[in-house]
Amino acid sequence: MLARAVLLASIIVVATAPSAWPFTVADMGGRALTLPAPPQRIISLVPSVTELIFALGGQERLVGVTDFCDWPADAKRKPSVGGMISPSLETIVTLRPDLVIATDSGNRQETVAQLDRLRIPVFMVHANRLAEMREVTARLGILTGRETSVAPLVDRFDARIRAVAAAVAAAPRPRVLYVLWPEPLIVPGRDAIVTELIGLAGGDSITANERNDYPRYSVEAAVAHAPEVIILARHGTGSGPIARDKWDRLVSLPAIKSGRVHAVDGNLMHRYGPRLADGVEQLARAIHPEVFR
Amino acid sequence: MERRRLVVVLAALTGVLALVVIAAIFLGSARLSPADVLAVLTGRTDASRTESVVIWGVRLPRIAAAVLAGGALAVAGAGFQGLTRNPLAEPSVLGVSSGAALGVVVAQLMGPASGVTDALRLTIFGFAGALAAGVIVYFIAAAGAGLPVQTLVLAGVIVGLFFAAAITVVTSLVDINRLGGIVHWLLGNVSAIPPRGLAVFAMLGTVGFWLIAGQARQLNVLALGEEAALQLGVNAERLKLRVFVGSALLTACVVAFAGPIGFVGLIVPHSVRMVVGPDHRLLVPATLLGGAIFLLVADTLARNVVAPAELSVGVLTSLCGAPFFIYLLRTRYRAGL
Repeated sequence: MLARAVLLASIIVVATAPSAWPFTVADMGGRALTLPAPPQRIISLVPSVTELIFALGGQERLVGVTDFCDWPADAKRKPSVGGMISPSLETIVTLRPDLVIATDSGNRQETVAQLDRLRIPVFMVHANRLAEMREVTARLGILTGRETSVAPLVDRFDARIRAVAAAVAAAPRPRVLYVLWPEPLIVPGRDAIVTELIGLAGGDSITANERNDYPRYSVEAAVAHAPEVIILARHGTGSGPIARDKWDRLVSLPAIKSGRVHAVDGNLMHRYGPRLADGVEQLARAIHPEVFR
Repeated sequence: MERRRLVVVLAALTGVLALVVIAAIFLGSARLSPADVLAVLTGRTDASRTESVVIWGVRLPRIAAAVLAGGALAVAGAGFQGLTRNPLAEPSVLGVSSGAALGVVVAQLMGPASGVTDALRLTIFGFAGALAAGVIVYFIAAAGAGLPVQTLVLAGVIVGLFFAAAITVVTSLVDINRLGGIVHWLLGNVSAIPPRGLAVFAMLGTVGFWLIAGQARQLNVLALGEEAALQLGVNAERLKLRVFVGSALLTACVVAFAGPIGFVGLIVPHSVRMVVGPDHRLLVPATLLGGAIFLLVADTLARNVVAPAELSVGVLTSLCGAPFFIYLLRTRYRAGL
């Protein structure tokens, strides 16, 4: 009961931005975190968070990132603490962070537990929906002292999303198979942000009702849904669409018959950063080429 | 005479271990200068300083974990070898590590592993898995007469594969976001364990060590054969049960706290045996120290060669262990196979 009251109070605090430090904030993992002063040395263990901090202009306070934080280009010049799964604890400590931002999808609980033990404050984020991505943006704005940048960033973002949604509103909605990974087949389920993006881009994801965010899926079930558009995620810049021939062999699929197999940049779809707007635009062009001719 | 030899060997190994621990304290991705490290160790650095946190909060707990895990695995190997009278027996070769790993993976899915009760839950599940795998291997291999070298190893490999497949089934069902963490754990990694977890590890490890070391004399007798053991008044069945439970417990502890790290139980007891001979009264304690030295060296390499990224120590031990296994097969036990 008390915990819930504290949580509620802290959410209100977040919503109104702190006028005085120290302040207590509930992170998105539901843990209350008290910060004595605005954090000045932040380590991001999440590529999405790194992108958002740069987009907000808060990168001066960013002292460490992961090997996967490759956008914008300047992010690669920040000191790296290693991968998302096994960052070097020792390197993290050496960077003297006053805040580490981690996620429950991609980082390990053990890493968070170890940081807790070392009394390094950890702020957990996660975003399975665009609404949560906006919330992450708002909180990162507060944590990096860039509150004023939040509204313009989110407004620009929303305007681009609205433009896409408006453009495809009148078009029929084809059945879309989104392939995150071909072997084993991994698709976006109901908790994946890309499922929402496909909807906004005017498609119906055939895996939108699957459990979790990125479940494994059988090829047979995918074929049974007769997808009209197949979208293959590319991972990393410069890599081609993966295992396209696997789908090309299924000649009876509507998507193959009409040649509607597209590759998109997975980093624009799976990271809840500012580039999700680019992601929606890319998806819309793949799903509705007729609209964007 | 024997006692003197024991003291000399253990003192020498303790000295080596101390040197390796000191080296490990000075090495790390944080690139602290030796002067900084010395200042921290002598208490001349404020506890809130980065250097202090790196040494006391990160390096030393990890060193302690590596020492414990290495000692436990090596003694488990010596235990399995003595119990089966099979020189190739070892937790990962026998499939016992895989059994423990399945238990731990199942326990991990039940909730986060942060507190002491979680650590105990992981160990208990791991122990159950290790016992199950060990019993199955034993019954497959003992179906004929005695425990032939090759049948036992084959049974172990098969049971290990079976449990590995069961782990794959479990991991196929989990959310992909957790998969990376589980795969990482399955490679075998020593990481800093919180003090209370370390205490649990040390206590359970002590019980396992005692179950084996306390039977050193009887294991020597058993080496002469079960009939000879019976004639000399050793209850072979009870002895084997005790040593089996002890070895399984040690394996389960390591798997629960660091994941399945392979081949330490093969490399270390054999290397130690080459120096001190087959007497278990000397072999078991020397193996404890040898295992600690070996895994600490391996883990120090694992966290330094690609810094700031890290290798999984289990990958390094398997890289050394598999060729070692082949070497043992080709040189020493060719006659038996």
